[in-house]
Amino acid sequence: MSGTTQAASPSRTERAVAPDGGSAASGARRELLHKLPWLVWRRHRAALRLGLLITVVACAVFAYQRMGIMDFLGGRSAPDLDGQQAEEFQNRFNSTFKFDLAFLTFLPGIVGVFLGAPLIAGEQEHGTLKLVTTQSASRARWITATLVLPLAVVVVCTTLLSVVFHWMWAPAHEIAAFGDWLDSGIFESTGPVLPARTLLFTVCGIAIGMLAKRVVTAMAVTAVFAAVFSVIWAAKVRHQLGTLRDSVYPYDGDGPDLPPGSIRIDDWLSTAGGDLFGISTCNDDETGACRAKLGIVNRVTQYFDYGQMTGMQWLGAGILLALTVAALAFVIWRARRRPL
Amino acid sequence: MSDPSPWAIEAEGLGKKYRRGWALRDCSFRLGAGHICALVGPNGAGKSTFLGSATRLVQPTTGSLRLFGVPVSDPAVLERVAFLAQDKPLYPRFTVAETLRLGRELNPRWDQALAERIVRAGNVPLTARIGTLSGGQRTRVAFALAFGKRPDLLLLDEPMSDLDPLARHEMSGLLMAEAAEHGTTVLMSSHMLSEMEDMCDYLLVLAEGRLRMAGGTDELVPAHTLVTGVAAGDGVPEELTRRHTVVESRVTGRQFTALIRPGGPLSDSWEAQSPSMEEVLLAYLRSPEAPTMIADEARLDGPRAAAA
Repeated sequence: MSGTTQAASPSRTERAVAPDGGSAASGARRELLHKLPWLVWRRHRAALRLGLLITVVACAVFAYQRMGIMDFLGGRSAPDLDGQQAEEFQNRFNSTFKFDLAFLTFLPGIVGVFLGAPLIAGEQEHGTLKLVTTQSASRARWITATLVLPLAVVVVCTTLLSVVFHWMWAPAHEIAAFGDWLDSGIFESTGPVLPARTLLFTVCGIAIGMLAKRVVTAMAVTAVFAAVFSVIWAAKVRHQLGTLRDSVYPYDGDGPDLPPGSIRIDDWLSTAGGDLFGISTCNDDETGACRAKLGIVNRVTQYFDYGQMTGMQWLGAGILLALTVAALAFVIWRARRRPL
Repeated sequence: MSDPSPWAIEAEGLGKKYRRGWALRDCSFRLGAGHICALVGPNGAGKSTFLGSATRLVQPTTGSLRLFGVPVSDPAVLERVAFLAQDKPLYPRFTVAETLRLGRELNPRWDQALAERIVRAGNVPLTARIGTLSGGQRTRVAFALAFGKRPDLLLLDEPMSDLDPLARHEMSGLLMAEAAEHGTTVLMSSHMLSEMEDMCDYLLVLAEGRLRMAGGTDELVPAHTLVTGVAAGDGVPEELTRRHTVVESRVTGRQFTALIRPGGPLSDSWEAQSPSMEEVLLAYLRSPEAPTMIADEARLDGPRAAAA
């Protein structure tokens, strides 16, 4: 024993210098975070740095793309474009929007799978949970720091992406993605929906990881959850977020005359009193006798007005955030109550 | 130590029930501060469950546990207790220096100089990542993290099991030296009975979730006698069972051997020997039905004079 100590002592003095010198150099930067936040940042710094980097790059790309769009429009607003110009716009910018929207649509799921799922499952799988929860900080403080720092980064990054993308898309909103702001991904990529959706998938990833206790299992389940949730959201929820507006015009007249930027959802036939019939009612009616019998005199087009978009987004985000809070409450309750 | 409670651990009716049954049941004892205590028992005896409940990783189903007079449910105990889990979990991507910083950031009583000294004594470079270290080096860093916390109570779950003999010897020396210097109470579970004999002055024996033996080695071990004599038929001679407590007995050919707790003087027909601690422990571990022995000083209702 003493032999080992003797042998070690000459090198001891040399070594003592190296770490001190190292920490002095980076000391100023490290002062920022302390205690548990430092640990959480250090544990996830690769993922969080990557997230920040991707945000900055994406925002720069959106800004560059906006310059292209503004150049093309040259002071005109999008509805003023004639048919040929509109076609040229699609040729030049359709793939841009497609790519941006694919990125922003898949982003929440990716964050959920790669940041959310391993956040606590990783600590459980590698046993390091036993290490952190037996230091002097209480379990409540540990779970708070573990959740707050990554979720704060998620909120900041996605809010920034949402705002910058909205800034790029808004000048051309009537024609970008062929004017479809509802089902093309724009609805989920702008306003409060992008941060809310990302938060939900991240927190659900954390909760799934906590239950699965295995990183790979948690990631797979989170991916499936995000996919299934998105399908249900698109099929059942998105169109229920607003009240459809009606545009009524005579059966043989011109129409519908929808406001610019509105989304046509459905077409009906209707009586003067407003009773609706399916669009194919009296399809084979050459004489008009069938329609006359039913009293059909008008056509009705149901649509969402562009002005409804913000309200629908806030309602959607509210639902997503309510689900997030429920999942978050489960995570905190379980982390505090159950020895993990 | 200016401590209001002289008892490092006081367990009262402590029990933990899992879905498959009781892992720990009705465990009552106390351990005075400053002891080096061995926690012995076969696999599945409840050792890890007990250590888990002392480190707030396991929530006991019944009973109470106090460390230095503070209920274990109070987060304040975390500061005074350090725990080294069996698999010695550390973040593999952290460097040694970052691992020590973890200790510094999360523990108000942290002793950086002590932790660095332990790490350096093993020639572990501070810039190395944990994932690249050998088993012995990792254990040393884990020890440094535990000792740097300056705990009053150090709980170790089979700390030496994955070390080679050389590293094991080194770690035991380190443990004894640091514990002696700071007056740390140590409770460690282990299967290495002979090593325990050298290091520990207190014993807790668990079997099938129940406490079988508790007390100082200087009281428990001399309370037993190893007797040898001529076997007379099968079974334990009535002469022994009448006045003494037989822990374990064996017949080899014509020779009868037994470990007993003498209840009075032995007759001359028996050859009596003092057993080693290992012999006593093995006897208890082999005979789960042997009577429980809790020394007075380990009893919760033990002599109050000792507490004062």
